[in-house]
Order: sequence, then structure tokens, then C-alpha cells
Amino acid sequence: MSTPLSAVELAASGLRAQAVRLRHVSENIANTDTPGYRRKLVSFQQEMDFGRATGAVTTSPTRLDQRELPRIHDPSNPMAGEDGYYSGSNVDLVVEIADAREAGRSYEANLRIFEQARQMGSALLDLIRR
Amino acid sequence: MFDRIDTLRMASSLTAHASARQGLAARNVANADTPGFRAHDLGRFAETYRSAPATELRATRPGHASGISWGGPDRAVDAGGEPAPNGNTVAIEDEMIRAADIRREFDLALTVTRSSLSMIRTSLGRRV
Repeated sequence: MSTPLSAVELAASGLRAQAVRLRHVSENIANTDTPGYRRKLVSFQQEMDFGRATGAVTTSPTRLDQRELPRIHDPSNPMAGEDGYYSGSNVDLVVEIADAREAGRSYEANLRIFEQARQMGSALLDLIRR
Repeated sequence: MFDRIDTLRMASSLTAHASARQGLAARNVANADTPGFRAHDLGRFAETYRSAPATELRATRPGHASGISWGGPDRAVDAGGEPAPNGNTVAIEDEMIRAADIRREFDLALTVTRSSLSMIRTSLGRRV
């Protein structure tokens, strides 16, 4: 049965999932210049309860982006091999910023639904309060 | 006892309709970035409510369970919308509009319930 309370829970699951995504984005951005760092990715999936979708959303386990690491020429770098190249990170800042924007937008939408569900629940309680 | 009064019953059905829709809207927004998710919504209240009483059973005794006049959340329909490349059909803008519509529906139902209750209180001779 769907009640305003369960809408609150659904919105909370969305908030949690978007927060995890935002966290990974900030990890990626922080490690843009870390040599050998692979971009972390999470995708979203519906939460399953004994094979039935509950409607809530969860994040999948973290995956690493398997795209090839760029080779950077810098013989003075301590990580550089004999040929003067070292592997950088495969983080693309533009992609990360776009991802952060989208996560922020979805987070805000979830927050509005959360607020509305909460207000609807308390309006219903107001009916019996007087 | 009071749900015999049709106005109150209709208002409580509308409240149930609005809160079920709110649950679906929350599910849609939560899954706004889930690949392959399809947005869902309920049919309009005016259509689902009117179609219901025809299937209602006749109660010959007060103890008989009467069918609820509104079908419940199992009538969720696909809300349509253009799918994104990952197969997701949720548009946040549409969901915000839907949320405002749900809010209006819910407030209407609550206002009707409140004034019906105060009418009953008045008829009982109590000060509201």
C-alpha cells in the first residue's frame, strides 16, 4: 500500500543514491592528477526484495573505468619509466562536472518530493488534531 | 459510520488517490537516472471513480464488506514520455508538474473532508 510515508522513504532512497554518486564524482575530481588512478563509476538499479522491485533505488557496486590510461611524457617525474612516460588518470573533468550537475539536479528533485510527502503526511494528521 | 456520507467517502477516495500518486511520483523521481526505468502514473480520478460503483456489490446487511469505490494503486499506467538513450522515460520537469497537481488534489480532498466534518459537528450542536 502506498502512503505518504512510503513516498518519503522512496525519496530518501533517491537522495541516498544521488549522494553516493556525488561522492564518487568528488573522489574522481580530487584524483584527477593521481598517476594510475582509474575513474570510479556507479550505476543505479531498482532495489529488489525477494525478486520483486520495491520501487526504491540503490547504487550498484563501484566499478572502475577500464578505459586506457593516458601516457604522459615527463622524464623528470619519479613515476616515469625508462622511456620517460608515466600513466596518468583517466578522469575527464568535463564529464565529471556534467555528472555532478545532473546528480545535483536529481538530488534537488528528490528533496522537493520528500518535502511535499512530509507536508502531506502532517496535513493529514492536522485533520485529527483538532 | 460517516463513510456512508457520499461526500466524505469521495473525499477519502481522493485522498487515497493523491497519496498513491505521490508514491508513484516519488518512485519516478528516485529512479530518474535508473537505466531502463519507465515512469508510472495513475489514471485521472474522475475517470477511475465514476467507473467503480458499477462493480460494487450490493450490501444487504450492515456487516457486509462493501467494495471500496476506488481501485487502488494497482492501476498504475505507464506515463509515457520520450525514452533517454538508456531507456529511462522519467522527465524531472514532468514529475514536478505532477507533484504540483498531486498537491492540489490532496489539498482539495482535505478541505472537503474538513468542511464536511465541521458540518457534522455543527449538526451535532457542538461549537466548531
